[in-house]
Amino acid sequence: MRKAYIVGVGMTKVGKFYDKSIRELAAEAVFKALDEAGNEKPDAIVVGNMLSSLAEQENLASLIADYTGLRGISGFKVEGACGSGGAAFLAGYSLIASGVFKKVLVVGVEKLSERPTPATSRGLAWAADADYELVHGVSFAGLNALVMRYYMSKHGVSREEMAAWPVLMHENALQNPYAQLKKKISIEDVLKSPVIADPVRLYDASPLSDGAAAVVLASEEVARKLSDTPIHVAGLGNALDSTDLTSRYELDRLLASKLSAEKAFQMAGVSSKDIDVAEIHDAYGVTAAISLEELGFAPRGKGAKLVYEGRFRAGDRPAVNPSGGLKARGHPVGATGIYQIVEVVLQLRGDFPGINVGGEIGLTQNLGGVGANVTTTILRR
Amino acid sequence: MLTIQRVWRLQEKLIKLVGSECMDCGYVCYPPKAACPRCGSREVKKIQLPRVGKVLSYTVLKVPVEGFESKSPLIIALVELGKARIITQLTDVGANEIYVGMPVEATIRKSPQMIEGATHYIIKFKPVIKK
Repeated sequence: MRKAYIVGVGMTKVGKFYDKSIRELAAEAVFKALDEAGNEKPDAIVVGNMLSSLAEQENLASLIADYTGLRGISGFKVEGACGSGGAAFLAGYSLIASGVFKKVLVVGVEKLSERPTPATSRGLAWAADADYELVHGVSFAGLNALVMRYYMSKHGVSREEMAAWPVLMHENALQNPYAQLKKKISIEDVLKSPVIADPVRLYDASPLSDGAAAVVLASEEVARKLSDTPIHVAGLGNALDSTDLTSRYELDRLLASKLSAEKAFQMAGVSSKDIDVAEIHDAYGVTAAISLEELGFAPRGKGAKLVYEGRFRAGDRPAVNPSGGLKARGHPVGATGIYQIVEVVLQLRGDFPGINVGGEIGLTQNLGGVGANVTTTILRR
Repeated sequence: MLTIQRVWRLQEKLIKLVGSECMDCGYVCYPPKAACPRCGSREVKKIQLPRVGKVLSYTVLKVPVEGFESKSPLIIALVELGKARIITQLTDVGANEIYVGMPVEATIRKSPQMIEGATHYIIKFKPVIKK
């Protein structure tokens, strides 16, 4: 297997951009990433996206390649719900590692602001089991609410302890120029925010977002030529769990996250103790708490409690979500996994324009559905 | 989109509570699977799940998904039915009366969701009333 390196990254600000289409968002990220990598034409494009059907557009690889002057290259779209970005990165990585291509552009793009909220919520619920869950009217927030109540009750976690995560994420995002939510909040603000799906309140949840992020992957030989600061893709793992929540073995765990992390750690020859900085998938506060546990950063049932005690901020090891995470940077679903990789690359290069924690080894963890399609990557300076 | 043929396809599973049981390792699950998630065996049979269970977790949805706007707030519960679980609407109960461990039983009711102008029926759960 050949080594793969990230030689260029780019992203748009995350937000609601009624004036920008899917192709325009993607082009902004693609041009930035290609410009960092010597503006050479890639061999292929892989697009991560979940819900472009809401904007009545599929066939995104052709759309974006053609719009950005790359007509004629190879490519396709990869879908894995909110984990589409991570899955697209896995596909792009594989194209380099297998030797099929030498330069691959991976772009994640999502546009959720096109339709009214109930229609977007219905689309997001397609990430769960439409035949058996959506048919009863349960939203994605509702599924996470079921997990949150179960987790809090099983592990004796208080409402205040659960609120510490969004407070930390909003604080981190204040310094991130790409973040969607730039507003300092308190635990009291979280507890007083409107209920979406009891016990999930507005500030427990990531926002609906538009955005695009891109990376250029290259073989070792090409990477040396194109970049002075290539970042090595040292480990990569993906694992699947049930689409439905009902048949999970344990409701307070994310088995696919654990399995994907084990694969990534093994491939990179490192463990959770070696990670300096991580960007994890905190679609909801409870998702963050369980993810910290499955990645080995917290003992089982202690994820939320450790956050409440002040762990995982800049200066701690690992620093988790210095970007502000899905919670406050925003969650353009199919692009999120690529945002995380771009952010960790910038951290390791010392170029992140927000809270810069530096470090040598970084991790990203991207979930699709309620942890049904999970990709973990280990990046190394 | 929910279509008439989709509800027709699903009626057995949505009304009769049909799950699957692995003939090799005994693993029971809902929704039913074509092969056992635990051991991979294709020797699975359809089984009827119990119609009485208890609430494992619940939520009250204040933001509806498209198609369910007529019934808000919607009460959703994760119900344990023997060795399986189901996610379902609760009915005949107030949001502040529900508790974890509450005994509930299956009932057939109208879905708040219309399909091409027609109503359809779906399984919901209601509190078990002691006689």
